Amino acid sequence: MNFLTLLKLGWRNIWRSKLRSLVVIFSIIIGVWGGLLILGIMYGLNNQRMDIAINGYIGNVQIHNENFLDDYAIKHVINNIDKYENFLSKDSRVKAYSKRIVLSGMLSNSNGSSGIQVLGVNPSSEKNVTKIYSKLIEGEYFKSKKNNTILVGKKIADKLNLKLKSKVVVTFQDEKNNLVSLLFRVEGIFRSGNSMFDESNVYVKNQSIRDNLVNFIGFHEMPIVIYENIEDSSLDLTDALKKDLKKIDNTNIIQSWDDIAVELAYANRMISAFLYFFMLIVISGLSFGIINTMLMAVLERKRELGMLMCIGMTRLKIFLMISIETLFLALIALPFGLIFSYFMINYFSVNGIDLSIVAAGLENFGIGTMLYLKLPLNYYYEIGLMIIVITIISSVFPSIRALKINPIEASKNI
Amino acid sequence: MIVTEKLSRIYKQGDFIIKAVDNISLKIQKAEFTAVVGPSGSGKTTLLNCIGGLDTPSLGKVIIDDENISNFKRDQIIKYRLNNIGFVFQSYNLIPVLSAKENVEMIMLLQGYNKKFRSERSEDLLNQVGLYEMKNRRPSQLSGGQQQRVAVARALASKPKFILADEPTANLDSISTNKLLDIMYKLNQDEKITFIFSTHDQRVIDRAKRVISLEDGKIFNDQKI
Repeated sequence: MNFLTLLKLGWRNIWRSKLRSLVVIFSIIIGVWGGLLILGIMYGLNNQRMDIAINGYIGNVQIHNENFLDDYAIKHVINNIDKYENFLSKDSRVKAYSKRIVLSGMLSNSNGSSGIQVLGVNPSSEKNVTKIYSKLIEGEYFKSKKNNTILVGKKIADKLNLKLKSKVVVTFQDEKNNLVSLLFRVEGIFRSGNSMFDESNVYVKNQSIRDNLVNFIGFHEMPIVIYENIEDSSLDLTDALKKDLKKIDNTNIIQSWDDIAVELAYANRMISAFLYFFMLIVISGLSFGIINTMLMAVLERKRELGMLMCIGMTRLKIFLMISIETLFLALIALPFGLIFSYFMINYFSVNGIDLSIVAAGLENFGIGTMLYLKLPLNYYYEIGLMIIVITIISSVFPSIRALKINPIEASKNI
Repeated sequence: MIVTEKLSRIYKQGDFIIKAVDNISLKIQKAEFTAVVGPSGSGKTTLLNCIGGLDTPSLGKVIIDDENISNFKRDQIIKYRLNNIGFVFQSYNLIPVLSAKENVEMIMLLQGYNKKFRSERSEDLLNQVGLYEMKNRRPSQLSGGQQQRVAVARALASKPKFILADEPTANLDSISTNKLLDIMYKLNQDEKITFIFSTHDQRVIDRAKRVISLEDGKIFNDQKI
């Protein structure tokens, strides 16, 4: 008996009890579809959180003075910034970079005050590095010819009741530790998707700071972009760039986004393992259904299997026949489950799911109000493979049960 | 030739020892048409199971054409059954998802014959049992008698040395029984195939050329007609 015959026999056997086989097939389809959909949601959430953080304000790599991270003082500017600029402008790995003045200060108006971080940026170069320009919900991105305009987050705008053109005062310490207060007018209100960021960061033109601090030279932060999409991120590329940048001046500190947003990096590292583990639980649950169905099928066909043993079918062939039947159930269901999931995830990756009803909660978590599902193709292959492997393992139990059938008892007589 | 030498099959059931077959020695020549008869529990089925290599004797041996099959290992006896013994079961035991022809071909598939040979032989055998026209029907589309005739064709497919048939007519009406017996008798006469039946059916006993009567696991009468 060749393998093709076993396949033919297995195929016909699964359709003996159509209802029972279809129930198992549908349960696998729904299990795969549901499982992958949840994976798409979780991966999408993580992706969005990373995207908001990395493309929203961090960038891929940042340069700071080594003392700046311990003491956010205005004096801790990046040393030899020209050398960095010279290097970055020539390096083909670098897509864009920007320079920021970063000041810790206070934002106040007649309604109150709030501690903030002032990011002094060059509007045009900042646009290449972060997406804050696209996150404006009111106003415009530094279109005004005046220098004293400010972009504030939605959260702080609500807190201080700020509207477009509202006047605010930003207070910070200069190089000599004197308090400096500057008046700004709100030109835009952004909603980054991370409410903590929106509450504690404001953007101003760096020229507005320089106009008022004539002796201040330099920048505190250089965000660098080396890959446009977070899926393209490569640790090797990042590490290589970091290594090269470190050679320029060792009094500065070079950090990649995962050094800066440690909790985000940890979550990102864990997500893959978590997703596979989650799917393993779903598939393991399904495997019990498969085992149960196949055990029933074996017990129902005890007499027939006994007859096959009587007439000379070897144990290996009996084992293979039952295994093939089991595998067929999964192989029929798998493409449907994978295809449904693929189209659904793709649809929601473009159109998104509107979660504005729970916007506040999501923004606290660093995610926007629209949830875009996402799942790389390798997950489909790997989970498909995982299902096949678990089905093969599941097929062992009914196959062993079949081998335990005593041909004499099974066929009653002879 | 089938020979049993002091064949015994003893079962333990709790504290009791049951001698299902007790010291049976017999010889069945090629082309015999033999019925093993006796009341329920007399050991007919156990004797046939031992002769068919499905059960291992507790004592004694079964020798088929000078080969002691009682000493065969599991894989060896499976192969032996496949190539040398045909089985006909009381409840037909055809594979429901296969057609009559495919059921007959099944055993030849296990033997590794090529497609052309299988197809020709299965059609020829179905023709012999009068079911050529129904070769593509599945068991559920055949009557009990027709299914049993397919089972006979299947048993013949492997070109066995002999056929063991356990109560082959138990589920059949008189017309089907007579038709089946006619076919088996013809095969016995024309092709010299050895048939050994276990049966209660007087119609089978009447057609048998030798009747071995068992009681309490022992032969109490062995009559050639």
